[in-house]
Amino acid sequence: MSSSKSAVHAYKAEIFCKDESRVDWHSKALWMLREKRDRAAGSLPEWEQLRQIGSEMKLHTLTHLAEYLEEFEQNCLKNNIKVHWAKDGAEHNRIVHEILAKHQVKKLVKSKSMLTEECHMNPFLEQRGIEVIDTDLGERIIQLAGQPPSHIVVPAIHLKKEEVGDLFHDKLGTEAGASDPLYLTRAARAHLREQFLSADAAMTGVNMAIADKGAVVVCTNEGNADMGANLPKLQLHSMGIDKIVPNIDSAAVLLRTLARNATGQPITTYSSFYRGPQEGGEMHVIIVDNGRTDMLKDKILAESLKCIRCGGCLNTCPVYRRSGGYSYNYTIPGPIGIAVGAKIDDTNSIPWACTLCGSCSYVCPTKVPLDKIIHHHRRLKAEAGKLPYGKSSYMPLVGKFMASETALNCSMSIARTALKILPGSLLKPFSGAWGKYRELPVAPNSSFEAWFKKNRG
Amino acid sequence: MSSKHDILNALKSAAIAPQAMPVIKVSPRIDDLVGQFEASLNTVAGTLHREGGLAKLQEQVDQHIAQGMQIISMVDGIKGNREVTDTAHQLRDIDYAVIPGDLGVAENGAIWVNNKNLGHRVTPFICENLFLVLDSSTIVANMHQAASKLTLNSGQFGTFIAGPSKTADIEQALVVGAHGACSLNVYLV
Repeated sequence: MSSSKSAVHAYKAEIFCKDESRVDWHSKALWMLREKRDRAAGSLPEWEQLRQIGSEMKLHTLTHLAEYLEEFEQNCLKNNIKVHWAKDGAEHNRIVHEILAKHQVKKLVKSKSMLTEECHMNPFLEQRGIEVIDTDLGERIIQLAGQPPSHIVVPAIHLKKEEVGDLFHDKLGTEAGASDPLYLTRAARAHLREQFLSADAAMTGVNMAIADKGAVVVCTNEGNADMGANLPKLQLHSMGIDKIVPNIDSAAVLLRTLARNATGQPITTYSSFYRGPQEGGEMHVIIVDNGRTDMLKDKILAESLKCIRCGGCLNTCPVYRRSGGYSYNYTIPGPIGIAVGAKIDDTNSIPWACTLCGSCSYVCPTKVPLDKIIHHHRRLKAEAGKLPYGKSSYMPLVGKFMASETALNCSMSIARTALKILPGSLLKPFSGAWGKYRELPVAPNSSFEAWFKKNRG
Repeated sequence: MSSKHDILNALKSAAIAPQAMPVIKVSPRIDDLVGQFEASLNTVAGTLHREGGLAKLQEQVDQHIAQGMQIISMVDGIKGNREVTDTAHQLRDIDYAVIPGDLGVAENGAIWVNNKNLGHRVTPFICENLFLVLDSSTIVANMHQAASKLTLNSGQFGTFIAGPSKTADIEQALVVGAHGACSLNVYLV
């Protein structure tokens, strides 16, 4: 996080937009996911019903969270699963390190977990001498490249295969210039197999935590979570408090929508239910708050905790697709990233990285009202006196101005005349950033009010 | 005060009034379950063998053994050439694993596998290729039905397997064979 201008969304997006062909390529790759999602959703007549049930079930759980968390813990204990509670990222990292240190773990294999990204766990453990290997292919790519994820489901979506080829040549010794995805994936498979087989412990995120069973569900396509958790004798699972569902029936609803909405698959290759450690093994679950109970104190923000991290809102977002995952000043980008990250965004700019088109809310499998939440964040920033530079000075004036009928009508009349008779080069500067990539509009002959009086009055 | 106490305490200030649990009642698509299952399995890159059952599978296994492949079978009536190993890690050279599935799901081609049939839990993931054996009468229409029928006792591990492992993390190009098995053949019995 940085409060300097260089972290502001528009500034970062501008850097991303410098290479126009790359932006087009990025946008198309994501739109392809959106199209696959549409086909998968359209193939189920009950799709809208599943969204509604998903939304209500998550809201029910979130409004009974204390009971379900306690039920979950009690049932975990019956299954010989150890449960830990962490108020924030620092406590989470400390707990994880204590468990690993107790078992003298030197190498940890990890499958995808946005929560551990949120807690910045990898550097914390690495500073304490523990090697952390990300095992999801996309995550391994960006780990080797020394980059953070740019998407929550396809973390290396910003990289081209040639770049991955060069990276693998450098780090894994693949042939120079080789960029065939099959060849590169096979090389990563061989490399990561050795890591799985030599790891001392495994860690995964949690897609759903089943309260009445005391079990965690982990979904992957690659099988990396299960290769990890089922080889070493020590397995750890980190989960936000919002991952709880009441029972397996509830989990089944989300398993029907999660992969369909993420990539258009009917279900992920593996949906694994861990209801206890392997024979002779040890299983830990770390339940993390890290700002979630705070979000629940606000009626509108609370609904962002219904999210199941499918990434559907990123794929459909016109701003995300054309500004990239690194422009949001938060670990999670896109609409959901704004929803859960705007509060701690010290640039106070990401709530404006949105056109309020509402596409995200319409594709969301649990009906998180993302556009409403993002709009709410703008209000919260304004109320806290944290409007981004410029907006705080002119917006109150614009408000007063537009509230006065005389002032508005008079100025609009002037604007129409100006657009007709003055050259664009003279007027363009007045449109500010808006006019940077847009042409000025063609002025209509009269105001809507005058037109209405004449034709309908 | 413990962190658990603090978290539960903070939840008392939640702003939304308690909401009721919805009734999960979704009409299943019940026509031609095996046909639906086969179509779904194909979309997740798996192959269904409807005819021939265990005899055909044993034939396949024997052919692979003749070629020097390492095969472990957890299915009664199918004979491989490897036994359950002492440690999970010793399964690293397994070419084919033969495993019984408990139930199949028509809407997505997934098969529920419970660890009581696995030897080591890692077996269906660490093998290069996977054979699953499924009783066609256990195929259900959707995940709601699967959820009410699957077995997951205290201490157990279970997983829905839908096809071979796959990834599209490099430029969205689908590659079958990521970290888990590189192929999946399902034999109906």
